Amino acid sequence: MATPMVLAESVHKCYGRLEVLRGIDLTVAPREVTCIVGPSGSGKSTLLRCINHLEKIDAGRLSVDGELVGYQQRGDKIYELPDREVCRKRAEIGMVFQRFNLFPHMTALENIMEAPMRVKGEPPKAVEERGRSLLDRVGLADKVDVYPNQLSGGQQQRVAIARALAMQPKLMLFDEPTSALDPELVGDVLDVMRGLAQDGMTMIVVTHEMGFAREVGDSLVFMDGGVIVESGHPREVIANPQHERTKSFLSKVL
Amino acid sequence: MSTGPGAISDPAFPASSRRPDAIKAIPVRHPWRWVAAVVVLAFAAAVIYTFAAAPGLQWSVVGTFLFYPEILRGVLVTLELTAIAMLIGVVLGVILAVMRLSANPVVSSVSWFYIWFFRGTPVLVQIFFWFEIGSILPYIHIGIPFTSLMWIGTTNQIVTPFLAAILGLGLNEAAYMSEIVRAGIISVDTGQTEAAQALGMTRVLVMRRIVLPQAMRVIIPPTGNETISMLKTSSLAYIATVGELFFIQKEISNFNYDIIELAIVASIWYLAMTSVLTFGQYYLERYFARGASRQLPPTPLQRFRRLLFHAHDPVAMGPFEPPPVYAPHEERRL
Repeated sequence: MATPMVLAESVHKCYGRLEVLRGIDLTVAPREVTCIVGPSGSGKSTLLRCINHLEKIDAGRLSVDGELVGYQQRGDKIYELPDREVCRKRAEIGMVFQRFNLFPHMTALENIMEAPMRVKGEPPKAVEERGRSLLDRVGLADKVDVYPNQLSGGQQQRVAIARALAMQPKLMLFDEPTSALDPELVGDVLDVMRGLAQDGMTMIVVTHEMGFAREVGDSLVFMDGGVIVESGHPREVIANPQHERTKSFLSKVL
Repeated sequence: MSTGPGAISDPAFPASSRRPDAIKAIPVRHPWRWVAAVVVLAFAAAVIYTFAAAPGLQWSVVGTFLFYPEILRGVLVTLELTAIAMLIGVVLGVILAVMRLSANPVVSSVSWFYIWFFRGTPVLVQIFFWFEIGSILPYIHIGIPFTSLMWIGTTNQIVTPFLAAILGLGLNEAAYMSEIVRAGIISVDTGQTEAAQALGMTRVLVMRRIVLPQAMRVIIPPTGNETISMLKTSSLAYIATVGELFFIQKEISNFNYDIIELAIVASIWYLAMTSVLTFGQYYLERYFARGASRQLPPTPLQRFRRLLFHAHDPVAMGPFEPPPVYAPHEERRL
């Protein structure tokens, strides 16, 4: 089997005395779409943030594409990664947020071009071309010079996806990408994500969209209280949940 | 987004065919507003007349000295003092603010201590301190460690009155500016930092490209305020015998005893300078509001034109105006 894109072994994370992740084991293979569901406060977002080096884990092992997250192993000693290395690794992972977090002082195209130019130092011309084709891909070719606050939530989220893709990441993390959207705008965003999955992008999606999870997901993970309660193929988990907590959660969201 | 006013309606339903005529009602009369206006105007006129027609006041002297070369030179020095002191204040203020927010406790404590000290002592005392520093530190040694390269000068040679004033005003201003900048930085949503970090941007890059440009919207209004304040505070440099506007007018009136007349001359110049700054601040704020508000407020000139030409047009003046979509870098059409 190839190196898993994400490998978590007994991952623990505390905020002060509150233990948010209490032993997560998870394997995500390349080109696989993993959907994570669960009640709020179950640690889903924290897990994503750990994978993207936005948080440091306290115990266990977490690696992305074969490399430890936030740490470096030399011999039998573990070293903290310096900031510059952390930034380099984050640049390889795309992340999409619930609240979009577009840069409001930049146009859609400038939002997309910022990181490839400043972080990777790519030439502006090539980046602009890629930016325009990415905006076209998410269906916003006519919004190139528009500032975020003139876009609807769904349009903003699609720009945010294009912004993450512009870095040509090997892994995309979605943190409840449709939770802040009006119901009629959710479809467009999910369409873009579906297209990404079809193109073979490795994705981890924290979501409440069970339809999307069933249709696009290769595996479904149900988290509660900082642990993975149940995981498996989406159709099986949804049709035939094994645990009481999974059953009661699914009965509420379906 | 090149749609103009009136574009909020659905093109499938032309607004003109459905929208009834605007209501033409006879406005409510407000007689007491007129009474209040007359009373206030009369009182103001009386006060102004009392001073303007004061028997001892020689307006001709004001006219003579308003463009007197010495006074103009004083105006120039005041502007120099203000510009340089504000430059030091802003640059040092940004550094202190970033230090204050640093994770390093020593660095942030040093910043805290600086602000505590310079905000806690009067500027006048600080200017005087730098002016008199030669009395406790007669010589300044500047050398490169571990070499014999060394330069020695007397302090009075280096710390001229002008430099003493700059140090006093600038270092004091930095303490205030750092708090303003810090407030601006804190006001930027943490999601912005996270999104930028997730894209692989380093801390410095996040601060420079994402956080500070957005913090500017919060930073600029109080900075404009500080600049206007600095223009007037710079008059304290007279204690260090710097030939700025206040010092010059005082020198002249010491000589000819036309104290009030020269104070009026100085006041006219201070007012003129602060007015220009107020105007400049407005346009600076407009620039940094891009992307933040859908519709930029009209400039004073646009507002004036609108008042002149559209005063009786309810669509142009009143609340019926549909919010036009603001296209970036494009003048709003009237």
